Amino acid sequence: MNPAILIIMALAGAVATGVGPSRWAKWTAFLSTMAIFAVSVVFAVQFPEWRTGKYWPSVDDGSAMKAFGINLQMGGDSVNMLLLLLTTFMMPLTIAGSFSAITERVREYYGWFMLLEASILLAFLSQNLITFYVGYEFTLVPMFFLISIWGGQERRTAAIKFFLFTFLGSIFTLAAGIYVASRAADATGAWDFSIAALTKFGSEQLSEREQFWVFLGLMAGFAVKTPTFPVHTWLPWAHDQAPTGGSVVLAAVLLKLGTYGVYRIALPMAPAGGVATATFFGVLGILAIVVTAMICWVQTDVKKLIAYSSVSHMGFVIMGLFAFNPIGMQGAVMYMVSHGLSTGALFLCIGMMYERFHTKDMEQMSGLARHMPVWGCFMVLFTLASLGLPGLNGFVGEFLCLMGTFVAEHDQPAGYPGVMGPWFAVVAAVGLILGAMYLLIMIGKVVWGPLKVPGASADPHEHAHGDQGHGALSRDLNFREVAILLPIAAACLVTGLYPRMMLDVTEPSVREALISYPERVNQFNAEHGKVNSSAKAKVAAITTTSTEAAR
Amino acid sequence: MMLPSLMLALNDAAAGHGSLADAVIPKAVAAPELRWAGWILLLPAISAVLCTLLAVLRTKSKLPALVTVLSLGTCFAMVLKLYLSRGPDAGPVVVHLWDWMNFSWGGGPWKSFQADISLYIDSLTMLWMLFVTGLGTLIAVYASEYMEGERGAGYCRFFFGVSIFLLAMSALVMADNLLLLYLGWEGVGLASYLLIGFYYQKPAAVAAGKKAFIMNRIGDLGLAIGIWLIWVNYGSIEFNTLFQAFGDAARGVGGWDRSLIPFCLMLGAFGKSAQLPLFTWLPDAMEGPTPVSALIHAATMVTAGVYLIARMQPLFTLHPDAMATVAWVGALTALLSATIGMAQYDIKRVFAYSTVSQLGYMFMGLGVGTAFGAAYHVFTHAFFKALLFLTAGAVMHGFAGQLDLRRLSGLRKVPGFAIVSWTMLVGCLWLSAFPYTAGFFSKDLILVQAMSQPRFQVLGWIGLITAAMTAYYTFRVWFRVCAGPVSYVPGEDAHAHDDHGDHGHDDHGHGAKAHDAHAGEFHPHAPRFAINGVLLLICLGAILAGIPGIQALRGQHNWVQEMVYHSSAVRASGVDHVTTPVAFGLDPHGVVSVFGISAAIGGILIALWLHLLDRRMADRIRTALLSNGLTRWLPTSMENKWYFDEIYHALFRLPMWITSHLLHFFDRHFIDGLLVNGIGRVPVMVGRLFQPLYNGALQGYATSMAGGLILVLAWVAWRWLGAGGVS
Amino acid sequence: MMHLLADAAPAMAPTQGVTIALVLSAALFTVGLIGFLVRRNMILMFLCTELMLQAAGIAFIAFGRMRMDTSGQVFVIFILTVAAAEAALALGLVVLLYRRRETLSAEAWQELHEQ
Repeated sequence: MNPAILIIMALAGAVATGVGPSRWAKWTAFLSTMAIFAVSVVFAVQFPEWRTGKYWPSVDDGSAMKAFGINLQMGGDSVNMLLLLLTTFMMPLTIAGSFSAITERVREYYGWFMLLEASILLAFLSQNLITFYVGYEFTLVPMFFLISIWGGQERRTAAIKFFLFTFLGSIFTLAAGIYVASRAADATGAWDFSIAALTKFGSEQLSEREQFWVFLGLMAGFAVKTPTFPVHTWLPWAHDQAPTGGSVVLAAVLLKLGTYGVYRIALPMAPAGGVATATFFGVLGILAIVVTAMICWVQTDVKKLIAYSSVSHMGFVIMGLFAFNPIGMQGAVMYMVSHGLSTGALFLCIGMMYERFHTKDMEQMSGLARHMPVWGCFMVLFTLASLGLPGLNGFVGEFLCLMGTFVAEHDQPAGYPGVMGPWFAVVAAVGLILGAMYLLIMIGKVVWGPLKVPGASADPHEHAHGDQGHGALSRDLNFREVAILLPIAAACLVTGLYPRMMLDVTEPSVREALISYPERVNQFNAEHGKVNSSAKAKVAAITTTSTEAAR
Repeated sequence: MMLPSLMLALNDAAAGHGSLADAVIPKAVAAPELRWAGWILLLPAISAVLCTLLAVLRTKSKLPALVTVLSLGTCFAMVLKLYLSRGPDAGPVVVHLWDWMNFSWGGGPWKSFQADISLYIDSLTMLWMLFVTGLGTLIAVYASEYMEGERGAGYCRFFFGVSIFLLAMSALVMADNLLLLYLGWEGVGLASYLLIGFYYQKPAAVAAGKKAFIMNRIGDLGLAIGIWLIWVNYGSIEFNTLFQAFGDAARGVGGWDRSLIPFCLMLGAFGKSAQLPLFTWLPDAMEGPTPVSALIHAATMVTAGVYLIARMQPLFTLHPDAMATVAWVGALTALLSATIGMAQYDIKRVFAYSTVSQLGYMFMGLGVGTAFGAAYHVFTHAFFKALLFLTAGAVMHGFAGQLDLRRLSGLRKVPGFAIVSWTMLVGCLWLSAFPYTAGFFSKDLILVQAMSQPRFQVLGWIGLITAAMTAYYTFRVWFRVCAGPVSYVPGEDAHAHDDHGDHGHDDHGHGAKAHDAHAGEFHPHAPRFAINGVLLLICLGAILAGIPGIQALRGQHNWVQEMVYHSSAVRASGVDHVTTPVAFGLDPHGVVSVFGISAAIGGILIALWLHLLDRRMADRIRTALLSNGLTRWLPTSMENKWYFDEIYHALFRLPMWITSHLLHFFDRHFIDGLLVNGIGRVPVMVGRLFQPLYNGALQGYATSMAGGLILVLAWVAWRWLGAGGVS
Repeated sequence: MMHLLADAAPAMAPTQGVTIALVLSAALFTVGLIGFLVRRNMILMFLCTELMLQAAGIAFIAFGRMRMDTSGQVFVIFILTVAAAEAALALGLVVLLYRRRETLSAEAWQELHEQ
């Protein structure tokens, strides 16, 4: 079975949603996304090849259409599979989360959502640079409409900024990709855009200088999408103005397109560029972690706070990716998935609150735990997951990313030398404290404290009796909302307590991604005079210790 | 004279283990047959889940307390069984439960990362687990009565927090690797956060919880960096592997980063155990319900820092500077918080500062090289401090939240408060190290060890001064509150209902009584069976905790010593144990104990004079100090905890807050406003140049297209000609 | 493929006649372009665009011939098809526009431009 069937299902869902009657639209969309989720689970079970890091289905099955080196080859390894499952898992929940919030132009809304899913799936499943790019870029179109039609007050500005900013970045990505492909075509005489072939060619044949520029070009798009520090300003706008569903998908899945691109395309294709710019991107990662965390601290809008926190959290992923060792890379992959779960859930929670009170201003609310205890429980849980409490999902990735950065030294005994080193990790780890600060301040203002319900009369007594003016929604979460949040909570707990199931499957993929790195890094470090005698002494001491331990 | 002989006996016992001290820690063996010990972790988890379910079912009964007490009691029974089945001198075992963060890229040290949920059980683990689960159970019983006013969601939430705490604490103590310890470490921080902020409608409680979590996070950062450094240097974070590696490392090379490890771990320990740079959260943590203060913020969680250093002793002994730092920080914290404790009026705050102070003693003990003394002090302190907090809780429970020691007097004569008063007396005697109490034995062990090493003698003196202060402020509380003529003013909670009508969650559940206070006279709410019973049991425990001291007095090996000497903490004792035969021309042990006894009794006598016999004298002294410009700083800074909070605010929080606003401004107006929007305007500006062409006439557009085409063609032609025509 | 073509026209070199075809193409294109720029009648303007399109088509065939590759011709077939569809659409639009303003001058619609 070809995984493209998932995309076809999403497209069919989009058509069905758009064509069918309005009142069926949400159910059509929900059922199609559920069906896609079911099929993706079937894929995960049915094709165990992805677990071992092999591409599934195998790359050269010859069934794909091919013209000008562009084919529709779909598949992937464990990282694709995890991101695929994350997407298909979050989508039905997001759609269910929009049921009561979207009352206008319902068909269009869910239709765009299904198209969004199709394009995300195309990006995650493509084994070909051009089809990847098509999926990657096409996500902009549904998101543009989702923001600019169903968004908040300043939705036009937000949507235009989102579209143009990310689009401008991706043009460079495409250019860099085409450059590599054209060089490959020069060398081999035939165009081939398949990621595997380009990776092989780029990492082996391109000169260091070429790799440097190719890497920067690729990163121009991915860094904007991720987003890393100075090119993040579209994100608070987009999140703040997007409808809840849009924010959730944006945080949970779309940002992962950027880091996935770094992981799958930029780093393997131009390793010399990656090594040469690792310090630069490490500094950007630190800035993202620390500076945006401090910006979070002074936000008054809950949604903006979480949006900025996304930037801060994706900084950890960047650090992990540029550590060039299995610890950091594993951490980055783990963190992509867990950030999708916990931040997506936080946006869902905030959406549920917004539906009731029509405000996101933290100054206008307080002590909502008394008003909606179930909501409060979920909010606290996902906040804790987000601030990296061990035992929940966020911790595993965060810790491994930082640890990977920490051990990414030039004289590292793990067999994977790096260029960043302990100080990067120590400075970035300040983000752990800052993260706890802003998230607990948010929780302290919104969930705890004396009860103050926004928009209600000042006297809290009166409010306890009824829930005037909030439509048909119950005071606390209703069954549907609990049913949305509960699976995410369970997923957070399971990934936090048994991350091994993900660590195991991603390990081969990570090793594959890092295959040309140790040599390149050593070369780079040697050029920068960073191999010192203490490294040798250390390794000698270590070998003695390990042989003794072996005895 | 008996005292010198006691100390000599202790010293002999330590010397007798001198050979053990040099020995490497035995390699742990895998013990799959002990997998049932995993239930010690699982039961509190189950109880937490059940509490959540009960909250969902909106139960109003005491069922959550029952569930929690049952599960914690079972845990205690299992720990006891484990202890009995192992015997005191069994070697360490590792019980693998399930895989957690675990992957490898080659296998072996540095080529894999292994952090499983496995238990490392040695005697140090058992020592901690015994009092953690035992006291946990008792305090849960106490809380079942104490928290009864919260029945409903709050009751479930409370016992959920207690269960989570026990789960995390067990994970911390039984962890077989540093990462699982870190999980427990942050987990107890979470439980502490949730329980301090239990009365979440009180802004002070919310702020205190937040402060505790963030301060702990600062420490956790140190712990995390320590873990990374350990992995970089030793290639593993599992205790079993590490302890073997430390033995080799002692003889191997050491880089600069290796010597940093103990300092990083220390930072974590200081955060969790409220030591000097990071101690300000603990007094604020008293906003939580009193059973929480007793369990988490006095008896168990705050000793996690001591546990960490005791557990990693082999590493610390490799770095004498680190040991000295631990000792100095401990001693200074002890002194500083004792001075603050002397000037507080809130009973719980006095006890909170005494906790910080006693923790300082423990760190001093670790630093000067008596892990036995430190662990023994942890053990005795757990009992008497829990007792003190629980009696304070009973007073608070009975007098509508009144905790001001100036407004309570003569409680021992108030009906129903006899047990509370007398058990509080026991706690006070133990805390002030009255001769032949458990507190005396444990504190003296630490002081003697300090005094017997010339470089730590200063610390010994600091410890002695602190001991006198401790005795003074402890009995200041007892003489004020329990002795003297009967008089009391009920606390604010008596009329809290009307002020904040909607709260519903009044703090201590005596709704009917409190309303009576309005109608007429206030009736203290005497504690009932659960509270009194638990107080008596813990009192008994505190008394029994002195047995090891008495055993040592008789020259026998006592079990606390055995427990310490058969664990990784063994490395501490003996290695640094330099016995100076003489100090001040005399046997140091005798001298120290005489000094210690005089300090304790002197402090008690001063308290007796100032706070029972002539109570106005204390106020007069204070007024005199305040009225003199030269001495005014002393009482004011003691009462204001030496302005630590203010200093931290000015040094860290305020600059950060300003920077954050500046960064926010920079982000919005420079990056987004100037750069991003600026670049966005460039195409618009360029477009303006050509505006006249685009007036709507189609030919205008076509002309520009043609012009573009001609430009391109011209460029191509130019390049072609430049390249020499035909290529 | 190549040898098949070679069999069909053995005497003809691939580049033969290409120059003439290219000159024709350039001339057609120039005529179309100038016509488009100077005329105001929408139908004539449309016809001029068609001229330019066909000029491109001739160039395609010429180059395809030069490289002995059929894809040039394939493209032209595509272009013709698209041009047919486009012509239908464009003429339809022109008719609609004519009905609105009763004139075929493009200047009648000058106010459509963006501000």
